[in-house]
Amino acid sequence: MTTFALPDLGEGLHAAEVVAWHANPGDHVVADQPLVSVETDKAVVEVPAPHAGRIARLCAKVGDRVQVGAPLVEFEEARPPDVGAVVGDLRPTPPTAPKAMPAARKRAHELGIDLAAVTASGPNETITVGDVDAAAARRPAAEGEPLRGMRHAMAANMARAGAEIVPATVTDDADIDNWAHAEPVTERLIRAVAAGCAAAPALNAWYDSRAMRRTLHPQVDLGVAVETDDGLIVPVVRDVGRRSQVDLRAALDDLKAAARGRTVAPAALKGATITLSNFGMLAGRHGALTVMPPQVAILGAGRAQPEVVAIDGRPAVRRRLPLSLTFDHRVVTGGEAARFLRAVIDDLELPT
Amino acid sequence: MTEMTLVQAINAALGRAMAEDPHVIVLGEDVGADGGVFRATDGLSKRFGEQRVFDTPLAEAAIAGISIGLAAQGFKPVAEIQFTGFIYSTIDQMANHAARLRTRTRGRLTCPMVLRSPCGGGIKAPECHSESPEALFAHIPGLRVVIPSSPARAYGLLLAAIHDPDPVVFLEPTRLYRQAHEDVSDDGSRLPLDRAFVLREGRDLTVVTWGAMLKETLAAAERLAGDGIACEVIDVATLKPLDSDTILASVAKTGRCVIVHEAAVTGGFGAEIAARIAERGLSSLAAPIERVAGYDTVMPYPRLEQHYMPDEGRIVAAARRALAYQ
Amino acid sequence: MTTSRSASFIVEHRRYGRADGELVATLPRFAGDPAELVRLYRAMVLTRTFDARAIALQRTGRLGTYASSLGQEAVAVGIGSAMHDEDVLVPSFREHGSQLWRGTTLLELFLYWGGDERGNAFAGPKQDFPVCVPVGSQAPHAVGIALALKLRGEKRAAVCVFGDGATSKGDVAEAMNIAGVWRLPVVFVVNNNGWAISVPVRRQTAAPSLAQKAIAAGFSGEQVDGNDVIAVRDVIEQALAKARDGGGPSLVEAVTYRLGDHTTADDASRYRDDAEVSPHWANEPVTRLRQYLTRIGAWHKRDEEEMLSRARAEVDAAADQYLALAPQDPAAIFDYTYAALPADLAAQRAAFLGGDQRS
Repeated sequence: MTTFALPDLGEGLHAAEVVAWHANPGDHVVADQPLVSVETDKAVVEVPAPHAGRIARLCAKVGDRVQVGAPLVEFEEARPPDVGAVVGDLRPTPPTAPKAMPAARKRAHELGIDLAAVTASGPNETITVGDVDAAAARRPAAEGEPLRGMRHAMAANMARAGAEIVPATVTDDADIDNWAHAEPVTERLIRAVAAGCAAAPALNAWYDSRAMRRTLHPQVDLGVAVETDDGLIVPVVRDVGRRSQVDLRAALDDLKAAARGRTVAPAALKGATITLSNFGMLAGRHGALTVMPPQVAILGAGRAQPEVVAIDGRPAVRRRLPLSLTFDHRVVTGGEAARFLRAVIDDLELPT
Repeated sequence: MTEMTLVQAINAALGRAMAEDPHVIVLGEDVGADGGVFRATDGLSKRFGEQRVFDTPLAEAAIAGISIGLAAQGFKPVAEIQFTGFIYSTIDQMANHAARLRTRTRGRLTCPMVLRSPCGGGIKAPECHSESPEALFAHIPGLRVVIPSSPARAYGLLLAAIHDPDPVVFLEPTRLYRQAHEDVSDDGSRLPLDRAFVLREGRDLTVVTWGAMLKETLAAAERLAGDGIACEVIDVATLKPLDSDTILASVAKTGRCVIVHEAAVTGGFGAEIAARIAERGLSSLAAPIERVAGYDTVMPYPRLEQHYMPDEGRIVAAARRALAYQ
Repeated sequence: MTTSRSASFIVEHRRYGRADGELVATLPRFAGDPAELVRLYRAMVLTRTFDARAIALQRTGRLGTYASSLGQEAVAVGIGSAMHDEDVLVPSFREHGSQLWRGTTLLELFLYWGGDERGNAFAGPKQDFPVCVPVGSQAPHAVGIALALKLRGEKRAAVCVFGDGATSKGDVAEAMNIAGVWRLPVVFVVNNNGWAISVPVRRQTAAPSLAQKAIAAGFSGEQVDGNDVIAVRDVIEQALAKARDGGGPSLVEAVTYRLGDHTTADDASRYRDDAEVSPHWANEPVTRLRQYLTRIGAWHKRDEEEMLSRARAEVDAAADQYLALAPQDPAAIFDYTYAALPADLAAQRAAFLGGDQRS
């Protein structure tokens, strides 16, 4: 129960007479809503409610004279009573956590080192960055090596993708028997992806799962997975749908050279709207690959080789390129995926 | 290019600003015929006349208040307060009016004034002539606070301050007025406000300071370089609004920060810089932040003054403390 | 030892009529036009009507702390009507009548006192300064403005208004001294209502008049019957003419009485006897002018009824507009701090708008 007392209305008021109530017990009132009119020597003044609440009881009748500070109205909702300052015993606790500099903590976290196992060499028994590095170097080989650089990034990114994406994979093959002898596979695949995106724009999109917002991209910025000595990187070739064959070839060459030379700029690894993995260089036909959020699709191409297929009801040997499309089924339908794949296959099956 | 002292650079900038904009006027005590007690306004009265350079009676609050009235009417007053010991009288006018005029009239009235004053100690001056009040002004929303550290920067920053459409408190290190010499090009180019300057690059330690302390700081950096330690020295220049990005980028690189200022340590502007690093750059810190500053005492009279002023030795010691965390 | 006189001075008190309306001097020319007097009368009534409404709104929590000008309407309207459009007003916080006369709207006044900065973005008198809260600190601004007018050679003047309490402030002394020695086109008006909150003038200063503080600054000061709008306007018109003609500053002490509380946060009965206040109602400015207008046959009951209801309607319309006006976009807190938002402050603004509770 909170009580609202007659406030000081100024002009030297000590008391005022209640002229009219504007609310009843049981009413819910809002802040500033006039509660009551009171009469002073000079004027009839409306007193507003100080806050919202339900009225439990009116503490005066019309005609009563109420002193300033005396109860006027009782509200139902209880406001938490003021308990004053800190309650309880403030005893100093013995330090349990090791003292470490912020950068040292960060490094320990990155390297997976337990600070309790680190010897502190800094002033005031504080663990320094150097101390953490020293502890890392001393770790026995049997524990393995901490992931660094690209492998570290790959582990972190794949874990994140796995936790988030709902993958579905559909596979098929393209008949590339018509291709010229030295037809460049990756370039054709790039072109085919562009065709797929044109047919099914839903696969060239980003999905923000927290906000549940999908952004379709008008431009296809294709991440092309490249295996290097250090690990897997996926540099981005921008706007593949509008670039000429010559242009794309040059871009791919630059990309491979940069990857080999470890000169890929960080900006070139960002912003892919869809990814291509031509994993079949060595082995592998179909596979369920990993979609990297916020993207919603990844096309994989397996090893191109001659296979026996049925043509007009009779066996024939044709060169086939296995394709695997993994998509995020939260935002891409089977139909969209199928349309994409169809368009990819149609483009690949063109002779040039 | 001419070799100028810092006060000559101020004088050149004032002359240039007045020549290019007829709305710029200079007022203050003894700024006319006497050319200012430090000669900062030397020759201006003769060159531009008494309608544009004039002496006021002895009334600091009114100097600030009159500047506000003039600025609201479209002039660009550059008011001199003879020493920062006397600038405290202006705080009411600067805080309650200059800093607020634009916002409280929703842009109808504005206050493009500059309040300039010599600040800092180390000049064996009488008491109240060695103040460092920059933190007081920097705390007031709506003001800019600028402190140059060299003749060239004094020239470019003062021109920028005069050009700025909002009130600027421009504190000039008295100690550098005649001590600092440099080639300055009187070509009217303004330096950017709201931007810190990296005067020396280095990977091992960031030292942040402003004003006259740049002298000791750069000397300390040179000494540490002899021991193979590469300091990055940042001149804050505009304390408010602060260029946090430059400072944070440096600390991210070096992991260590020493902040140097002459003003007393508690509530000094170094505390703001340290807070920003703690807020946005904490995980970069390989060592605690160090502050080298005046003690929380009144600036001693000249005989003991040198014990109060931060010097090269104190800066080097702080740097070594930070570098002890390897 | 022999002495010679270095300075002496006289301070005059000027009036045209007694409280009961009897004239004691010939009226100035403008007062010979009843229509003009009716304009002044309407303006005072409008001011008082606004004043009452403002108090009522404050009592019901819909306006902030408000400083009533009850009893001082003649000073404010006298000042406003004496000024030319192109003169510049630098008020304190009790000159609502001057502001209204010069084109500040009722809505703008409600907005200011209601706690909305848009109330200071005057659409009308664009160079006038807004209300000044730190007492007397506006005096140097008026001097700076007057200096600007003089430097540009314009035939304009600044009018700086402050109360009896302000005459004790250093800023006022500094400003008046500079205005005097630089011979600036500024008229200082002391709105002497007898009280600085609870401190009566006799305990504010030992000087027998406030006008004589101008003498110390080297220019003339005179008193005028502050409850006679004709007298106030006449004296200030003359001072303004002198200022515009290069004659330098003047000080006019308008002697009036504060019939209300200092502000709605004040209770004057704590320090002031009702018995002291009551007689001043007999001298109050609105009634005095009405009595004179009635006596000369220029005002009748139906004029009064019609004017009262018009004033009420105008004030009510403005109050309704004010109450219906939504507060500004909260981003406005940031947007006028500087001409262009610095990066630093832009980050705070972004965090603020993004609902980030951390700074």
